[in-house]
Amino acid sequence: MKQLNVVGRRLPQHDAAAKAMGQAQFTDDLRLPGMLYGRLVRSTIPHGNILHIDTSAALALPGVKGVLTGKDIPDRVYGIVPKAKDEHALARDKVRYIGDEVAAVVAVDPETAEEAARLVRVEYEELPAVFDPLEAIKEGAPVIHDRHPDNTSVRIHKQFGDVEAGFAASAYVFEDSFYSQAVNHAPLEPHAALASYDPQHGDFTIWTSTQIPYFLKRNLATTMGVPENKVRVIKPKVGGGFGQKLDMFAKDFCACWFARELSRPVKFVYEREEVFQNTRQRHPMYLTVKTGVNKQGKILAQHITAHADGGAYNSTAPLMITLSAFFVMIPYKIDNLIYEGYHVYTNKPVGGAMRGHGVPQPRFAIERQVDLIAKRIGVDPVKMRLLNAIKAGEPHPAGFVINTCGFAESVAAAAEAIGWEEKRGKLPFGRGIGVAGSAWPSGVANMAHLSSGAVVELFREGRVNVLSGAADIGQGAETVICQIVAERLGVPLEDVHITAADTGTCPLDAGTFGSGVTVRAGNAALSAANDVRDQLFPFVADHLHCDLEDLAAADRRIFVKGEPERGMSLKEALKEYQYSDQPVPIVGRGAWVPPADQPTDLLTENGNFAPNYSFMTQAAEVEVDTDTGKVRVLRMVTAHDCGQPINPMLVEGQLDGSMVGGMGQALYEDSTCIDGQQHNPSFLDYGFPTVLEMPNMQDIHIDTDDPLGPFGAKEAGEGTQLAPAPAIVNAIADAIGVEFDRLPVTPAMVLEALKKKADVEKADVPEEGGV
Amino acid sequence: MAQKQILELTVNGDLYEIACEPNITLLEALREKALLTGTKRGCDLGACGACTVLLDGEAVLACLTLALEAQDREVTTIEGLARNGEMTPLQQAFVDYGAIQCGFCSPGFIMSATAMLADDPSPSQQEIRRRLAGNLCRCTGYAKILKAVEAVVEARARVSAPAGGAL
Amino acid sequence: MRLPKFDYHQPTTIEEAVAALAGSPGARLLAGGTDLLVNMKLRVDLPQTLVGLDRIPGLRGSTQADGRTVMGAKTTLKDIQNDPVLLERYPALVQAARAVGSYRHQTMGTLGGNLCQNTRCRFFNQSQEWRSVRSLCYKAGGEDCHVMNKKGVCYSTYSGDVAPALLVLDARVRLQGPDGGREIPLAEIYSGEGKSPLALGPSEVVTAVVLPENSANGRSCYLKQGLRGSIDFPIVGAAVARFDGGLRVAYTAVDRSPVRAAEVEAELEGRELTGELIDKVAPLCRKAATVTRTTTQPVPYKRELMAALFRKAARTLV
Ligand SMILES: Cc1cc2nc3c(=O)[nH]c(=O)nc-3n(C[C@H](O)[C@H](O)[C@H](O)COP(=O)(O)OP(=O)(O)OC[C@H]3O[C@@H](n4cnc5c(N)ncnc54)[C@H](O)[C@@H]3O)c2cc1C
Ligand code: FES
Ligand code: FES
Repeated sequence: MKQLNVVGRRLPQHDAAAKAMGQAQFTDDLRLPGMLYGRLVRSTIPHGNILHIDTSAALALPGVKGVLTGKDIPDRVYGIVPKAKDEHALARDKVRYIGDEVAAVVAVDPETAEEAARLVRVEYEELPAVFDPLEAIKEGAPVIHDRHPDNTSVRIHKQFGDVEAGFAASAYVFEDSFYSQAVNHAPLEPHAALASYDPQHGDFTIWTSTQIPYFLKRNLATTMGVPENKVRVIKPKVGGGFGQKLDMFAKDFCACWFARELSRPVKFVYEREEVFQNTRQRHPMYLTVKTGVNKQGKILAQHITAHADGGAYNSTAPLMITLSAFFVMIPYKIDNLIYEGYHVYTNKPVGGAMRGHGVPQPRFAIERQVDLIAKRIGVDPVKMRLLNAIKAGEPHPAGFVINTCGFAESVAAAAEAIGWEEKRGKLPFGRGIGVAGSAWPSGVANMAHLSSGAVVELFREGRVNVLSGAADIGQGAETVICQIVAERLGVPLEDVHITAADTGTCPLDAGTFGSGVTVRAGNAALSAANDVRDQLFPFVADHLHCDLEDLAAADRRIFVKGEPERGMSLKEALKEYQYSDQPVPIVGRGAWVPPADQPTDLLTENGNFAPNYSFMTQAAEVEVDTDTGKVRVLRMVTAHDCGQPINPMLVEGQLDGSMVGGMGQALYEDSTCIDGQQHNPSFLDYGFPTVLEMPNMQDIHIDTDDPLGPFGAKEAGEGTQLAPAPAIVNAIADAIGVEFDRLPVTPAMVLEALKKKADVEKADVPEEGGV
Repeated sequence: MAQKQILELTVNGDLYEIACEPNITLLEALREKALLTGTKRGCDLGACGACTVLLDGEAVLACLTLALEAQDREVTTIEGLARNGEMTPLQQAFVDYGAIQCGFCSPGFIMSATAMLADDPSPSQQEIRRRLAGNLCRCTGYAKILKAVEAVVEARARVSAPAGGAL
Repeated sequence: MRLPKFDYHQPTTIEEAVAALAGSPGARLLAGGTDLLVNMKLRVDLPQTLVGLDRIPGLRGSTQADGRTVMGAKTTLKDIQNDPVLLERYPALVQAARAVGSYRHQTMGTLGGNLCQNTRCRFFNQSQEWRSVRSLCYKAGGEDCHVMNKKGVCYSTYSGDVAPALLVLDARVRLQGPDGGREIPLAEIYSGEGKSPLALGPSEVVTAVVLPENSANGRSCYLKQGLRGSIDFPIVGAAVARFDGGLRVAYTAVDRSPVRAAEVEAELEGRELTGELIDKVAPLCRKAATVTRTTTQPVPYKRELMAALFRKAARTLV
């Protein structure tokens, strides 16, 4: 067992008190002298050409300082994935969905900006629109982007082993279809940006609610047409992201543009409705899964076809579909596999990264089908999962290197905790339990631009200053990084001070996505802390007349391992160090790139996807009100292998949030559209769960110790959101015998299904049927 | 239409004189005029609780309250709870129990819970849920928020239990 | 979203309030504001003048006298829950007050405001920007009804929780207008029209709600089905009260006004209330209202819920 003091402890986030006292500053809390307020004008049609924009009435409104349209800005497309750029900050010729940005206004106060935006008149030539990906791929469907006449902007075809032979060898082959809906991230903080411009040096500074500052910097520079070093992105506190704050948005560009034009700071804050309609959402997906199994339920071959509804733009499309493909390859060992995926444009709100990016959809399909197959061939669903569970060290068809894997343990632990043996199939009608499993990477290994850097300064008297590019969006990344540094340098957490996610002062970091921050930025911080040790500790070893390797640091002391009294305080050590004219400041530099000897394009090639992989199983117990159709989740268990948790309390926070989020996706949330317009763009109508819906939750830690993660850690941020939905729907099947194949399972659907079932049962026993 | 008028607003014991028209909400007055930005704007339409403040001790949604309605009344915001930098037991519990992730919902939750505990010092778990259900959180899944509030309720029960009484 | 501009009056007596309403056409009363201010931000309601009730004394709380319970219009839904007399006498009322929105809405929301809240529709309760995608709907001042695809009709749905409870309890409301006061049955303040759902005079104020002391002898029940346990408006809400010789049944969120299920009541009249009878009559409930697709919930589901909630609520009174 490792002897640790700060890592592995349940510590509050370092800024929790500031947040509890209302002192933490989010983007909309910032103000600068002379600040102006912006507002966007959005398309009112789903598809059409812009004929004319009349800004005169808006400009005439007292207090209005400027109006901008797509024609006024450089013709430069942007997007988070370089080869899939297809968006303009403001639409130039064409709008592609309701809410597409066509113009922006700025004014002296928010009220005037809001009024001015309403005065901008846009004339369109309407084009036929298409709202369903299965329609959009048909011959003759309206073309949304000229570059993709079939509306399919990304396609992926992954094949491993011999799928035909696998099916031929199977005792049974089943094909089932599923649908997973559009889900909104709905972070509590609406997106915002505040930009200022220094005309003397041509420097922009933007404070913005982003989870990916360095990518944003690049996108802003390209679209504004300025060198990257002229843009400084600062991330204040961010009120949740979940992937939605990954892209550049019109507010970022327009704030910078107007700040330069007017030489005054400009702030944009989105309305809640804009967050729902005009940022990003989880891709709705149609999936067909064809699976061949032997008599025991061992999967011999699988063929998955997925059509993702991308909405009007690409955003992360290639990455999303790649993740979707690769993560059907774990947590089960499937040697013969085909994944065919299509990212299809429609005239609808835009799909993007969301917690579990591209994977909850196939996970829902596969985990539902495992239960269906188990039922059809008469095996136990838990046993079937165990039979197919992937193990550490096994050769992997796609080339994943899985050093540690607690999947089978997680299945067993979750099943036991939910009471599988006693309850499955044995509860009264209306009550049921279900399980589902999943796996997730700790960041993406082999794509460009994925390094993290860190700088650690050990200051006089033992104050530690950390610079990190990592973007804390509420998950506690900064705290985890500080814990790692504190552990290495033997100081308590409160001695470590971090400045992060400011591209003007911090080292490069890829950003918060793919659940990679702890492993990537944590390892960078660890290596910077080690660099600090390398500078100070030889000096201390000399001083103590001991071997360098024998030194340990804890409680603000450096001492000889096993002989705590033989040592000196850190403060003393630093004083001695400085007084003997050693070089100060002591600054350590660290960098970490996931080991990647594999290719950088997973769309077309294979390789080890991530530095390491986490594994988890969720189990649910539900109660169905057969009168009203309402499903209540009574209990949720998650058994999670996240390696060694750096901070178990923060890990639990991630798991709890993921479970409730997953429950929302299973039962409550659906960003529906009417004629391409989002129907329910408000907290009231979208209705994600409140504390009243929260089930009794249990987190089980599956212990593994990963060789690559800092202190053995793996991800804990996204994986748990993958499988709660199928676990819940599997539990509903156990409760009422109805097999749902689409999300969310609404009370109306449940009641209708129960009625149908009753009708069928009646019809099945004609001799008794009176009516 | 309405002229600007001078609104006298007492927030956390301090008097603010704010020139405004009647259509300004208490949330706007606090954030934009009094520059007290601890109170958050999550939806502006009364559906998330992020803007919860106390008006004469009663928790209200500042986004659906006219600033003029708060005239001659005591407004308490999240900034007004701590005394000399010392957090209230509830704030401290939110910190200690990991009830705060991004922290955007936290001020609203803390104000709602503060009002609840002033009303009813020993609410049941179900009652805590009912009274806090108007506050949305997307990060925590609520478990640790509930735990933090329950911890305060329990600590109070211990303190108020008679000496030697059963625990 | 900013509020549109308006003039604001804070009268200190009812008479002043009535005068202020009479003095400016298109003026509106502001009570808790949790319905009105949302609609103003969305710009589906654009009053030139708001008349605040907050400075008028004597409109809050309940009193008992002459065999009647009188509740001031400014009594909050929280006040109602905390009143032990009301809980004992009118459980349905207290259950309904507890069912409104979230506890925050119950703290701010008033009895008068709850009863007088505007009807709702998925094409109406949306921002100006959202609505600008379609022609202005009939209720918002245009011609078209996007639910029915027709002109000149409006099926926006009354969704208040408290009204059905009060309807089955035989509530009356006291009104004060320029010509003095009157007291009418609660049902009469609803016009049954979606476009202008209230049948009040333009400058009439609801001052109180009056209930008979022994209304249903304490045997009443309100059940609400929302998507979530809090915040949400009812998908359907059902109130039942047991009187000597029969049951009263009323619904919300199914029609342009809260409705009594007359046919169901007639069927039950004079018969002994049993579980069997309840099940037998329940299917009739589906026809008690003109249910339209004004929310995201399918119409057949709402009809099923009308029956299901009736069964559940009525059973508590057997
Ligand atoms: C997110 C959210 C969820 C909600 N959920 C529900 C719900 O589930 N169930 C529900 O019933 N309501 C719900 N509401 C609506 C509202 O909160 C309640 O109906 C509340 O009781 C309204 O009361 P108020 O005092 O705030 O009304 P106000 O908004 O002040 O007034 C509403 C209307 O009534 C008129 N009015 C007010 N008082 C009088 C009076 N004395 N005489 C004549 N007219 C008067 C006003 O002019 C206005 O037109 C919800 C609101 C929100 C924002
Ligand atoms: S901001 Fe007031 S309730 Fe959401
Ligand atoms: S902590 Fe982020 S919304 Fe609650």
